[in-house]
Amino acid sequence: MPRIRVRPADEIQPGQPAFVSHGDIEIAVFRVDDGFRAYRNRCPHQQGPVCTGPVSGTLVATADTDWRLAWVLDGRVLICPWHSMEFDLDSGRRIRARTERLRAFPVEVDNGEVFVQIGPRAAPAATG
Amino acid sequence: MTRDSRKPLGLDDVFIVDCDVHANEPPEALAPYIDMPWRRSLELLGRGPQRYLDIPGYAPILNIDPPFPDRGLGNRTVATARQMRDELDELSIDVGILFPDNLLKIAVFPHVDYAAALGRAYNAWLADAWVSRETGLYGAVLAVPQDPKDAADQIRTYGADDRFVAVYLPVAGLRPLWGDRMYDPIYEAAEEMGLPVMLHSVGIIHPHFPFNLEHVESRIVRHPINHEFALMANLFTMLTSGVPVRYPDLEIVFTEGGVSWVPFCMWRMDKEYAEIPTGAPFLERPPSDYIKEMYFCTQPIEEPERSRDLLTMIDLFDGRDKVIFASDWPHHDFDHPRTVLNMPFDAELKRNIMGETARHLFKLPVPVPVA
Repeated sequence: MPRIRVRPADEIQPGQPAFVSHGDIEIAVFRVDDGFRAYRNRCPHQQGPVCTGPVSGTLVATADTDWRLAWVLDGRVLICPWHSMEFDLDSGRRIRARTERLRAFPVEVDNGEVFVQIGPRAAPAATG
Repeated sequence: MTRDSRKPLGLDDVFIVDCDVHANEPPEALAPYIDMPWRRSLELLGRGPQRYLDIPGYAPILNIDPPFPDRGLGNRTVATARQMRDELDELSIDVGILFPDNLLKIAVFPHVDYAAALGRAYNAWLADAWVSRETGLYGAVLAVPQDPKDAADQIRTYGADDRFVAVYLPVAGLRPLWGDRMYDPIYEAAEEMGLPVMLHSVGIIHPHFPFNLEHVESRIVRHPINHEFALMANLFTMLTSGVPVRYPDLEIVFTEGGVSWVPFCMWRMDKEYAEIPTGAPFLERPPSDYIKEMYFCTQPIEEPERSRDLLTMIDLFDGRDKVIFASDWPHHDFDHPRTVLNMPFDAELKRNIMGETARHLFKLPVPVPVA
C-alpha cells in the first residue's frame, strides 16, 4: 500500500488543508483537534472539489438546545463550494444525511512528517 | 475511431446544449447601452456599493435572512463571454443559452419606461459583447412584461439575428401572470420569429403572488415556491387563456423547475377541465395534451434515492423528447452535466436530453468537429 508524504505536521493548520495527488486522485489532509484526517477531494454529490471549500460550523436545533438554533461543530464542518453540502471533518459523514460520506484515507505522523496511506476505501484514522 | 457502444456515454461523447447559463450584467456594463435619462441612473448605481444580485433600483430582492459564516451560496458570476466559454469548456458544454443575473428581477419595476429601457439595453449588450455562433453562446431576447409592445419590437429586431434563439419571459415578481391577454403581442412576435419562449424565475420576496413570502422563515421553503410554484401558476394561466391554442406554432419552455411537477399539473388541470370546461374555453383538448407539447429544463434535476424513478417521472408526461438539459451555471444550485448524463437512461435518451432535442428546438447549427 503506497504511503505518500504530505508535509511536516506543524505546517498543516486548522482550516487550511494540505493537498497531495496520487495519479488522478487528489487528497486533502486536514488538522482536526490534535490529529489529522485525509479525504479525497471529490464530493459524493456531484463530484465537486469539496476539500477546497471553507471549514466552518453549522446550525442545529434539537431537544438538547431546547429547540432553539445553536451554532455547533465550529471549525469541524467542511462545506462543498459547489452546492454547500456539509461534512463532519471528524467522521467524513455528510451532516444530516443518510449514508453519504467522503472517501477517507489513513494518516500517519512519522518523525513530525504527515503521510497518507493510499489503498482501498478506509475509515479515517486519527493520529496525534 | 468509433466509440465502444458497451461503454457508458461520457461527457465528450455527446453534444451538450445548456439551456440556462447566466451572464452577469452590472449596472455600469449596461450604462453605455441604455437611453437617457436612465443612463444617469445606471452610472450612479455603478459607482455605489453592490451586493450579489442585490442592488436596490436594479436587482431588488428583500433579503430577510440572517447571515452565517461561509454560507454565501456560491456567489459566482461570469463577467465576460470569454470567461463563460472557458468555464463551459471545463464542464464539457458545447452551447450555452444566456440569461441575465440581476435582471432576472426586471418584472418588479413599476416604472414601465425604465423597465423597457433596461430590457433594450440588456439585449443590445448581449448582441454587442456576448453572443456568437463561433463560441456557441446564444441569446434569449429579454421580453419586458411591463411593455409588451416594446418587447414585441425587441423580439422582431433580435429574432432576425441568428445569434438569438429564444425569448426570455421573466417570472419573478410578475403581475399579471403570463396567461394574461396583455402579453399577446409578445407571443405573436415570438411565434412569428420562430423563437421558443422560456419562462425563468428567481428567488425573491415581493408583494405579487407567489412571491409574497415575507412571513416564511426558511429559504428552503421560499426557493421552490419562487420557482416551481411560480412556473405552475403561470402554466395554468397560459393554458386557460389558450396561449398554446391561439399560438399553435409557439414553443413553450420552462426553466429551473426540474420535471417532477409536470405530471401533477397535467392530471390536476385535466380534473378541473373535466368538471369545469368553461374555465378553459379556448382549449380544444384536455390540458395535459398541451402540457405534453411543452419543454422542461432539467435543472435542478431531481436526485431521487432510486434514480430510475426519474425516468418513470419523465415517461408520465411522455417527456423523452421534451426534457432538455440546463446547468444554471454559475449559480449556487447548478447541475454538472455529468449528473444528468449518469442517470439510468438509455443512450438515445441521454443524447436527446443533453443536446439533440434542444438543437432542434432552437434550430442550432450542426456542430462541426474541430480539425
